Amino acid sequence: MDGNYVVMAVTLIVWIGLFFFILSVDKKVKKLEEKS
Amino acid sequence: MWYKLVLFVLMSIMIYFSFALPAPQQQIGESSRVFYYHIPQAWICVIAFAMSMFYSIRYLQKKDIKYDDKAVVAAKLGLIFCILATVTGAMFAKVTWGVYWNWDPRQTSVFILLLIYGAYFALRGAVEIEEKRAALSAVYSIFAFVTVPFLIFIVPRMVPSLHPNDSIISENLKFNIEGAISLVFFSSLALFTVLYIWLFNIGVRVQLLIRKQLEQEDF
Repeated sequence: MDGNYVVMAVTLIVWIGLFFFILSVDKKVKKLEEKS
Repeated sequence: MWYKLVLFVLMSIMIYFSFALPAPQQQIGESSRVFYYHIPQAWICVIAFAMSMFYSIRYLQKKDIKYDDKAVVAAKLGLIFCILATVTGAMFAKVTWGVYWNWDPRQTSVFILLLIYGAYFALRGAVEIEEKRAALSAVYSIFAFVTVPFLIFIVPRMVPSLHPNDSIISENLKFNIEGAISLVFFSSLALFTVLYIWLFNIGVRVQLLIRKQLEQEDF
Protein backbone atom coordinates (compact mmCIF):
# COMPACT_ATOMS: atom_id res chain seq x y z
CA MET A 1 0.00 0.00 0.00
CA ASP A 2 1.22 3.50 -0.86
CA GLY A 3 2.76 5.16 2.21
CA ASN A 4 0.91 8.37 1.39
CA TYR A 5 -2.44 6.68 1.99
CA VAL A 6 -1.28 5.39 5.39
CA VAL A 7 -0.30 8.93 6.44
CA MET A 8 -3.60 10.22 5.01
CA ALA A 9 -5.56 7.65 7.06
CA VAL A 10 -3.66 8.61 10.24
CA THR A 11 -4.22 12.33 9.57
CA LEU A 12 -7.94 11.75 8.97
CA ILE A 13 -8.26 9.72 12.19
CA VAL A 14 -6.48 12.48 14.14
CA TRP A 15 -8.71 15.14 12.55
CA ILE A 16 -11.94 13.20 13.23
CA GLY A 17 -10.89 12.58 16.85
CA LEU A 18 -9.91 16.22 17.33
CA PHE A 19 -13.12 17.50 15.74
CA PHE A 20 -15.41 15.42 17.96
CA PHE A 21 -13.34 16.30 21.03
CA ILE A 22 -13.71 20.04 20.32
CA LEU A 23 -17.41 19.53 19.55
CA SER A 24 -17.92 17.78 22.90
CA VAL A 25 -16.10 20.61 24.73
CA ASP A 26 -18.31 23.12 22.89
CA LYS A 27 -21.46 21.25 24.00
CA LYS A 28 -20.25 21.04 27.62
CA VAL A 29 -19.55 24.78 27.65
CA LYS A 30 -23.06 25.41 26.24
CA LYS A 31 -24.61 23.31 29.01
CA LEU A 32 -22.64 25.20 31.67
CA GLU A 33 -23.71 28.51 30.12
CA GLU A 34 -27.37 27.46 30.30
CA LYS A 35 -26.95 26.42 33.96
CA SER A 36 -25.29 29.65 35.07
CA MET B 1 -23.75 24.39 14.08
CA TRP B 2 -23.76 24.40 10.28
CA TYR B 3 -20.32 25.95 9.94
CA LYS B 4 -18.84 23.21 12.16
CA LEU B 5 -20.32 20.55 9.89
CA VAL B 6 -19.01 22.37 6.80
CA LEU B 7 -15.59 22.65 8.47
CA PHE B 8 -15.58 18.92 9.24
CA VAL B 9 -16.50 17.89 5.70
CA LEU B 10 -14.23 20.37 3.90
CA MET B 11 -11.23 19.71 6.17
CA SER B 12 -11.63 15.96 5.54
CA ILE B 13 -11.74 16.62 1.77
CA MET B 14 -8.72 18.92 2.04
CA ILE B 15 -6.77 16.22 3.92
CA TYR B 16 -7.67 13.69 1.22
CA PHE B 17 -6.47 15.93 -1.62
CA SER B 18 -3.33 17.03 0.26
CA PHE B 19 -2.15 13.42 -0.04
CA ALA B 20 -3.87 12.36 -3.27
CA LEU B 21 -2.47 15.15 -5.44
CA PRO B 22 1.17 15.14 -6.61
CA ALA B 23 3.65 16.66 -4.10
CA PRO B 24 3.53 20.47 -4.34
CA GLN B 25 7.31 20.88 -4.64
CA GLN B 26 8.59 18.10 -6.89
CA GLN B 27 12.26 19.05 -6.31
CA ILE B 28 11.80 18.57 -2.53
CA GLY B 29 9.66 15.46 -2.83
CA GLU B 30 6.87 13.94 -0.74
CA SER B 31 7.92 15.83 2.41
CA SER B 32 6.77 19.07 0.77
CA ARG B 33 3.16 17.98 1.45
CA VAL B 34 3.75 19.32 4.97
CA PHE B 35 3.29 22.82 3.54
CA TYR B 36 -0.50 22.27 3.43
CA TYR B 37 -0.37 22.14 7.26
CA HIS B 38 2.81 23.91 8.33
CA ILE B 39 2.12 27.25 6.59
CA PRO B 40 -1.53 27.54 7.76
CA GLN B 41 -0.35 26.79 11.34
CA ALA B 42 2.29 29.55 11.09
CA TRP B 43 -0.38 31.84 9.58
CA ILE B 44 -2.77 31.20 12.50
CA CYS B 45 0.11 31.81 14.91
CA VAL B 46 0.63 35.31 13.44
CA ILE B 47 -3.15 36.03 13.32
CA ALA B 48 -3.58 34.92 16.95
CA PHE B 49 -0.67 37.00 18.23
CA ALA B 50 -2.00 39.99 16.25
CA MET B 51 -5.44 39.48 17.84
CA SER B 52 -3.83 39.25 21.26
CA MET B 53 -2.16 42.61 20.62
CA PHE B 54 -5.43 44.11 19.31
CA TYR B 55 -7.40 43.06 22.41
CA SER B 56 -4.54 44.22 24.64
CA ILE B 57 -4.79 47.69 23.09
CA ARG B 58 -8.58 47.58 23.55
CA TYR B 59 -8.08 46.64 27.21
CA LEU B 60 -5.73 49.58 27.78
CA GLN B 61 -8.27 51.89 26.09
CA LYS B 62 -11.43 50.65 27.84
CA LYS B 63 -10.12 48.92 30.99
CA ASP B 64 -12.75 46.23 30.36
CA ILE B 65 -11.56 42.83 31.64
CA LYS B 66 -13.33 40.97 28.80
CA TYR B 67 -10.66 42.31 26.42
CA ASP B 68 -7.96 40.87 28.67
CA ASP B 69 -9.75 37.50 28.52
CA LYS B 70 -9.81 37.66 24.71
CA ALA B 71 -6.14 38.69 24.57
CA VAL B 72 -5.07 35.76 26.73
CA VAL B 73 -7.16 33.23 24.78
CA ALA B 74 -5.67 34.49 21.49
CA ALA B 75 -2.13 34.30 22.94
CA LYS B 76 -2.74 30.74 24.19
CA LEU B 77 -3.98 29.62 20.77
CA GLY B 78 -1.12 31.47 19.07
CA LEU B 79 1.37 29.61 21.24
CA ILE B 80 -0.29 26.24 20.51
CA PHE B 81 -0.24 26.86 16.74
CA CYS B 82 3.34 28.16 16.98
CA ILE B 83 4.37 24.88 18.68
CA LEU B 84 2.52 22.90 15.99
CA ALA B 85 4.28 24.87 13.23
CA THR B 86 7.63 24.26 14.97
CA VAL B 87 6.95 20.51 15.26
CA THR B 88 5.81 20.13 11.63
CA GLY B 89 8.82 22.23 10.57
CA ALA B 90 11.16 19.96 12.55
CA MET B 91 9.61 16.90 10.88
CA PHE B 92 10.21 18.47 7.47
CA ALA B 93 13.80 19.30 8.54
CA LYS B 94 14.43 15.67 9.54
CA VAL B 95 13.35 14.38 6.12
CA THR B 96 15.02 17.14 4.08
CA TRP B 97 18.10 18.15 6.08
CA GLY B 98 18.64 14.93 8.08
CA VAL B 99 18.13 16.41 11.55
CA TYR B 100 15.10 17.66 13.46
CA TRP B 101 16.85 20.76 14.75
CA ASN B 102 19.98 22.50 13.45
CA TRP B 103 19.50 26.11 14.70
CA ASP B 104 18.64 27.30 11.22
CA PRO B 105 17.76 31.06 11.34
CA ARG B 106 14.06 30.19 10.88
CA GLN B 107 14.13 27.63 13.70
CA THR B 108 16.08 29.98 15.96
CA SER B 109 13.68 32.89 15.36
CA VAL B 110 10.65 30.67 16.09
CA PHE B 111 12.35 29.40 19.23
CA ILE B 112 12.85 33.01 20.39
CA LEU B 113 9.18 33.73 19.60
CA LEU B 114 8.12 30.75 21.73
CA LEU B 115 10.26 32.06 24.59
CA ILE B 116 8.77 35.57 24.25
CA TYR B 117 5.18 34.27 24.45
CA GLY B 118 6.14 31.73 27.13
CA ALA B 119 7.32 34.71 29.19
CA TYR B 120 3.90 36.36 28.63
CA PHE B 121 2.26 33.51 30.56
CA ALA B 122 5.02 33.54 33.18
CA LEU B 123 4.30 37.24 33.69
CA ARG B 124 0.57 36.59 34.02
CA GLY B 125 1.24 33.85 36.55
CA ALA B 126 3.49 36.09 38.63
CA VAL B 127 0.98 38.93 39.22
CA GLU B 128 -1.95 38.24 41.54
CA ILE B 129 -3.91 41.50 41.35
CA GLU B 130 -6.23 41.15 38.35
CA GLU B 131 -6.15 44.75 37.08
CA LYS B 132 -2.37 44.96 37.45
CA ARG B 133 -1.94 41.58 35.71
CA ALA B 134 -4.21 42.65 32.85
CA ALA B 135 -2.46 46.01 32.39
CA LEU B 136 1.07 44.61 32.57
CA SER B 137 0.37 41.71 30.24
CA ALA B 138 -1.44 44.02 27.80
CA VAL B 139 1.65 46.22 27.53
CA TYR B 140 3.87 43.13 27.24
CA SER B 141 1.64 41.64 24.53
CA ILE B 142 1.90 44.82 22.43
CA PHE B 143 5.70 44.81 22.65
CA ALA B 144 5.79 41.04 22.06
CA PHE B 145 3.87 41.41 18.80
CA VAL B 146 6.34 44.00 17.53
CA THR B 147 8.88 41.16 17.37
CA VAL B 148 6.56 38.83 15.38
CA PRO B 149 6.98 40.31 11.87
CA PHE B 150 10.67 40.80 12.57
CA LEU B 151 11.24 37.21 13.74
CA ILE B 152 8.95 35.48 11.23
CA PHE B 153 9.36 37.51 8.05
CA ILE B 154 12.53 39.61 8.28
CA VAL B 155 15.28 37.74 10.21
CA PRO B 156 15.02 34.45 8.25
CA ARG B 157 15.37 36.39 4.98
CA MET B 158 18.32 38.50 6.15
CA VAL B 159 20.69 35.58 6.72
CA PRO B 160 21.29 32.44 4.61
CA SER B 161 18.79 29.72 5.56
CA LEU B 162 17.94 26.21 4.41
CA HIS B 163 14.24 26.98 4.90
CA PRO B 164 12.39 27.36 1.58
CA ASN B 165 11.22 30.99 1.43
CA ASP B 166 9.58 31.02 -2.00
CA SER B 167 7.18 28.06 -1.75
CA ILE B 168 4.12 30.28 -2.15
CA ILE B 169 5.23 33.74 -3.21
CA SER B 170 8.36 34.36 -5.26
CA GLU B 171 10.72 37.30 -4.81
CA ASN B 172 8.79 39.07 -7.63
CA LEU B 173 5.64 38.77 -5.46
CA LYS B 174 4.05 36.24 -7.83
CA PHE B 175 2.34 33.04 -6.72
CA ASN B 176 4.52 29.98 -7.22
CA ILE B 177 1.62 27.56 -6.91
CA GLU B 178 -1.32 27.12 -9.25
CA GLY B 179 -4.21 24.85 -10.19
CA ALA B 180 -5.38 22.15 -7.80
CA ILE B 181 -2.38 22.59 -5.47
CA SER B 182 -3.21 26.27 -5.06
CA LEU B 183 -6.88 25.44 -4.39
CA VAL B 184 -6.01 22.88 -1.70
CA PHE B 185 -3.47 25.21 -0.10
CA PHE B 186 -5.80 28.22 0.11
CA SER B 187 -8.64 25.96 1.31
CA SER B 188 -6.34 24.72 4.06
CA LEU B 189 -5.52 28.32 4.99
CA ALA B 190 -9.24 29.22 5.17
CA LEU B 191 -10.22 26.05 7.06
CA PHE B 192 -7.48 26.47 9.66
CA THR B 193 -8.70 30.05 10.11
CA VAL B 194 -12.29 28.83 10.72
CA LEU B 195 -10.96 26.20 13.16
CA TYR B 196 -9.05 28.95 14.99
CA ILE B 197 -12.17 31.17 15.19
CA TRP B 198 -14.16 28.24 16.63
CA LEU B 199 -11.45 27.50 19.23
CA PHE B 200 -11.18 31.19 20.08
CA ASN B 201 -14.95 31.37 20.59
CA ILE B 202 -14.90 28.36 22.95
CA GLY B 203 -11.88 29.76 24.83
CA VAL B 204 -13.53 33.13 25.41
CA ARG B 205 -16.76 31.46 26.65
CA VAL B 206 -14.73 29.29 29.06
CA GLN B 207 -12.96 32.40 30.39
CA LEU B 208 -16.36 34.04 30.94
CA LEU B 209 -17.64 30.98 32.82
CA ILE B 210 -14.53 30.95 35.03
CA ARG B 211 -15.05 34.64 35.75
CA LYS B 212 -18.72 34.07 36.68
CA GLN B 213 -17.73 31.16 38.92
CA LEU B 214 -15.11 33.27 40.71
CA GLU B 215 -17.62 36.10 41.20
CA GLN B 216 -20.14 33.67 42.72
CA GLU B 217 -17.46 32.32 45.08
CA ASP B 218 -16.64 35.88 46.19
CA PHE B 219 -20.29 36.44 47.18
